[in-house]
Amino acid sequence: MTWTKNRVASLFLLILAIVYLLLSYQLPVYPYVPVDSDFVPKTLGYILIALSIALFFVKEKQTSDKEEEKIPLQDIRVLLAVGGMLLLYIFFLEILGFIVVTALFIYFCSWYLGYKKHKVNALVSLIFPCVMYYMFNYLLLIRLPQGILPF
Amino acid sequence: MDAFSGLLQGFQVALSWEGILFVLIGVVAGTFIGMMPGLGPISAIAVMIPITYGMNPTLALVMMAGVYYGAIFGGSTSSILLNAPGVSGTVATAFDGYPMAQQGKAGKALAIAAISSFTGGTVSVILLMLFAPALSAVAVAFGPTEYFALMLLGLTAISSLADGSTIKALLSAVVGFMVVTIGIDGQTGTPRFTFGSPQLLDGLDFLVIALGLFALAEVCFLILNRKDRSLENQANIGSLKLTKEDFKEMKGPMSRQSFLGFILGVLPGAGATIASFIGYITEKKIAKNPEEFGKGSVKGIAAPETANNAATSGAFVPLLSLGIPGSGTTAVILGAFLVLGIQPGPLLMTDQPEIFWGIIASMYIGNVFLLILNLPLVPYIAKVLLIPRPMLISLVIMFSIIGVYTISFNTFDLYVLLVFGVIGFMMRLFSFPAPPFILAFILGGMMEQSLRQALTISNGSWRIFFESPISISLFIVALLSFAIPLFKQKKKLAAQDQDVDT
Repeated sequence: MTWTKNRVASLFLLILAIVYLLLSYQLPVYPYVPVDSDFVPKTLGYILIALSIALFFVKEKQTSDKEEEKIPLQDIRVLLAVGGMLLLYIFFLEILGFIVVTALFIYFCSWYLGYKKHKVNALVSLIFPCVMYYMFNYLLLIRLPQGILPF
Repeated sequence: MDAFSGLLQGFQVALSWEGILFVLIGVVAGTFIGMMPGLGPISAIAVMIPITYGMNPTLALVMMAGVYYGAIFGGSTSSILLNAPGVSGTVATAFDGYPMAQQGKAGKALAIAAISSFTGGTVSVILLMLFAPALSAVAVAFGPTEYFALMLLGLTAISSLADGSTIKALLSAVVGFMVVTIGIDGQTGTPRFTFGSPQLLDGLDFLVIALGLFALAEVCFLILNRKDRSLENQANIGSLKLTKEDFKEMKGPMSRQSFLGFILGVLPGAGATIASFIGYITEKKIAKNPEEFGKGSVKGIAAPETANNAATSGAFVPLLSLGIPGSGTTAVILGAFLVLGIQPGPLLMTDQPEIFWGIIASMYIGNVFLLILNLPLVPYIAKVLLIPRPMLISLVIMFSIIGVYTISFNTFDLYVLLVFGVIGFMMRLFSFPAPPFILAFILGGMMEQSLRQALTISNGSWRIFFESPISISLFIVALLSFAIPLFKQKKKLAAQDQDVDT
């Protein structure tokens, strides 16, 4: 037996279904309705189990999808790095404010991904957040986090 | 209010200077976003929703219609210029559009696409105007059982018609349904799957999921292909002029595909992709010189473009008259309506006629603006392809963050966005389709509600679902729409096996 993509996915979904079902069985009972809040989740859980088992045994199509190719390790590292930057962005968004964090994010993310023209990059990463901030805060009256800047 | 005066009122709003300005913003922004490979109408609408907060609903709708049409046209543009369809609905356009662009006639191909889209869109909006009120009149009598059956049909139809494996589409839909069960249960007040987190009590916002599954997942693929510079050679597109002969050739496919596309669009699950392929194939079959198809034929661009636009307007029939989206894209549009406080459905026409007719008017205007304002701008908009990938990636991330933050003003949702971005990326890697997920997420809540309403009415007896002829026939259609493709797939696989054996 080979561990094809479908089988990995099916196993993962099976675990998800079991966890979801276990949680559904712990939902508190509310006696005054004919159908309680646990009915639909339980049904979904069982359907997911059935479907993921079906996925396990279904024949994989013999197509050579381009997405079948393995992602090189280096690219995974890049993805993780951008993900990390995004985490930092979110974490500091309300602390430092929208303009500061967004400017830093655009500059460093673009630079990290291989954009070499530093002047253009700096200009874009200053102008874009400022324009968006002005548009949202003053034209649309939707408050983006102000942070450490006085305006 | 009769249809005509309603429509006039809609036009009045849409043709005010504010209305025109917002349609223009919408159309241009939509084209911009739709042109990016991978970013289609779903991402475009999701990104633009925050801008509509606090706007006059009619104006916001007009802008959204512009975004929607712009994004579809933008998708055709990237099919033609890059052979990289942004959305599946424009794949067929690339068959002939890209060869024509390679002959140095990209401008001509774009003009054909724009004019056919306009025709398809306009004809089917007229049809929509005729059919939606009639369907609403019937749908007023629908109870929870009929609604439940209809939504089930919508889900099974999109799953069975999605590209690739039906099982995977169904799995995607079931998980989408599971995600919507997070939060307080509306009927009993029981918090479900919230793990004690107060932020999860209200459930997850659809925008978080739409932006995560579509925009952020696409960002991951942009990152993987960041060194691809092929985009930059295509920013010059040549003349947009068409000759009389071109128009003559376009006339046939445009008139036929407008109607065929509309009908396919009304059916749940079928939608733009299938309409465009069927349009392409039928035109090729009846053409006098089918060998031209695939080498830059005028008809080969006109047919799928007319059909996909006609189908997208057709998809508004169930959305407006029943309140039920039939596809991933209309599901996101429904989300946009809900953000504006508009509940589409049979009562929309009688309770808020100005909104209903405003939507119709905005669709006309979105179409017209696309043709007269957007088309001349296309040579300039095509310059967006010159934006270096690294910059593009950072900017798309920024827009997604703004979109999600402005719903709840809370960073919790941003972390959830990140999680759904990862889920969306994994789904793409394992080739699970994302549209059934988002459709199930939108329909799931309504389905559960109508199921339990029906069972409350009947005091728990399941027989209520088999008492109305409408719901019975809908159940049968749902079952068939699910079983037939599965059966066909099996046959196909068996045939493939035989090929391998012999």
